[in-house]
Amino acid sequence: MNLTYALLELQRTLRIWSSTVFSLALPMLFFLVFGAMVPWGSVRLAHGDVAAQTMISLATYGAITAAAGMAGSAALEQHQGWGRQLALTPMTRGGFVRVKVFVALVVAALPVAGVFGLGALTGAGAEPRVWVLSPVLILLGSVVFACYGVAVGKLFRSEAAVGAASGLLVVLAFLGGAFVPLTGWLLDIARFTPVYGVMALARYPLTDGATPTLSGELVQDPLWLPVVNVGAWTLVLGALAVLAARRGTRRA
Amino acid sequence: MTTTTAPPGTQALELTGLVKRFRGEGGRRVQAVDGVDLQIGRGEVVALLGPNGAGKTTTLDVVLGLTEPDAGHARVLGRRPRQAVVEGRVSAVLQTGGLMRDLTVSETVRMIASLHRAPLAVDEVLERAGLTALAGRRVARCSGGEQQRLKFALALLPDPELLVLDEPTTGLDVGARRAFWTAMRAEAAAGRTVLFATHHLEEADAFADRLVLMAAGRVVADGPTREIRRSTLRTVGVTWDDPPADAVLARLPGVAAVSRQGARLVLRASEPDVLARHLLTRTPARDLEIAPASLEDAFLRLTDAPPGGPVLEEPR
Repeated sequence: MNLTYALLELQRTLRIWSSTVFSLALPMLFFLVFGAMVPWGSVRLAHGDVAAQTMISLATYGAITAAAGMAGSAALEQHQGWGRQLALTPMTRGGFVRVKVFVALVVAALPVAGVFGLGALTGAGAEPRVWVLSPVLILLGSVVFACYGVAVGKLFRSEAAVGAASGLLVVLAFLGGAFVPLTGWLLDIARFTPVYGVMALARYPLTDGATPTLSGELVQDPLWLPVVNVGAWTLVLGALAVLAARRGTRRA
Repeated sequence: MTTTTAPPGTQALELTGLVKRFRGEGGRRVQAVDGVDLQIGRGEVVALLGPNGAGKTTTLDVVLGLTEPDAGHARVLGRRPRQAVVEGRVSAVLQTGGLMRDLTVSETVRMIASLHRAPLAVDEVLERAGLTALAGRRVARCSGGEQQRLKFALALLPDPELLVLDEPTTGLDVGARRAFWTAMRAEAAAGRTVLFATHHLEEADAFADRLVLMAAGRVVADGPTREIRRSTLRTVGVTWDDPPADAVLARLPGVAAVSRQGARLVLRASEPDVLARHLLTRTPARDLEIAPASLEDAFLRLTDAPPGGPVLEEPR
């Protein structure tokens, strides 16, 4: 990857303070309300407590929202004809997507650090392996949503489409169990959706795959399920992002 | 320039039987480029002229590897266009867009420089495009002329052998246009091959040694600027008290059209010298003036030419 280009792009992305602050502050605020200040926060799970589970869920939500936010910048670039400028350089489409993913992961790391920091301060309980592995798994899963953002931004450059893409992300987050536990057939469908996979993977070090359902009982997801889910979505959306980057050369 | 150079004798650009179609409104197929053959030697400065929709930009897109032709092929310095771009042998100033508004001038140049294999120094390029004083300014705050010079700076980065400019001065005021061409002229003087599309005839006239006229996806004329100008009719103006009727005037040697402007007659002629000699020696006409055809006349004549209309020289 071209580091000079990536760092300048990162600088440009972080300069848009409004979206950076928003993607950082919102999950932190949610964690304070739904994680740190609820009475059932200290209920024990396999390798920690419920507060740690909420921390992981909200950090994941913040990370994927931030990563998918690349849609906005990709659409703007597309609109301004930057893709044609890039097409006059040796940069490949794969190189373009790698830069976008790198920038997306740095931006996604901010809410993860923020929420985990807040969790540590407010006494969310988890074994060391959770504090180390979960953030890494969240960022790994965010690659899926960085690719999602690039594909959406390049394919549909209108603001309406980018808005629809973030709306779809909320639906996916709901299916991923980010807001409320699911049950029954909805849960069966949800297992195939990308946010579910990233959430399940990120929680695995804490819960060993135990997933709460709406009815209150726990269901067990084997490790291979989120691994296959995240792997498959990375391939599909990664390929789509590279294909979409081809559109950059067309005339605006 | 890059370490390996193309073998001597290689053309800067070679287009053979180029065809590109688009799906237009209602699924109708539009032939944007319809069999273009064009060769440009190294060091030539060539203007590509034509009305909107003539196929100029599509042709340049093929040259730059931005689009693939449906038929025919393009060679840039003996290579496939994309290969020539990757090696930094060809670069371009694009017609519209191509800059990110929230970057500064120097950030833009640094970003694009980082992508090239052996770019020139950022400071040098800023200097040559006359942007040194604006390095820290946001692109959004730059005037149209400054943005165009920035795109020019980006095009200089790979130190290309062939520089392509697609309507580089569209939307610029006279001063900005002049500044742009001054910078360009220095590059051409240094031996770079330049191919630019324009519909400003005076720019083509002032800057190019060779004109290629396109209309409806085809090359309709191709030759040195002077020849193209000469190939069209010139006008002979005379003062003639009590002149004969138009029908009589039209039978004078080489006269194609007659118009009257008060006491003056303006005759369009294919052989103005012959007509002038006749007028001055055999008629009472006086105060004779031969005006060169404007390039605009040539342009309109050639781009609207009906089939079988005036042909200059076989398109090369």
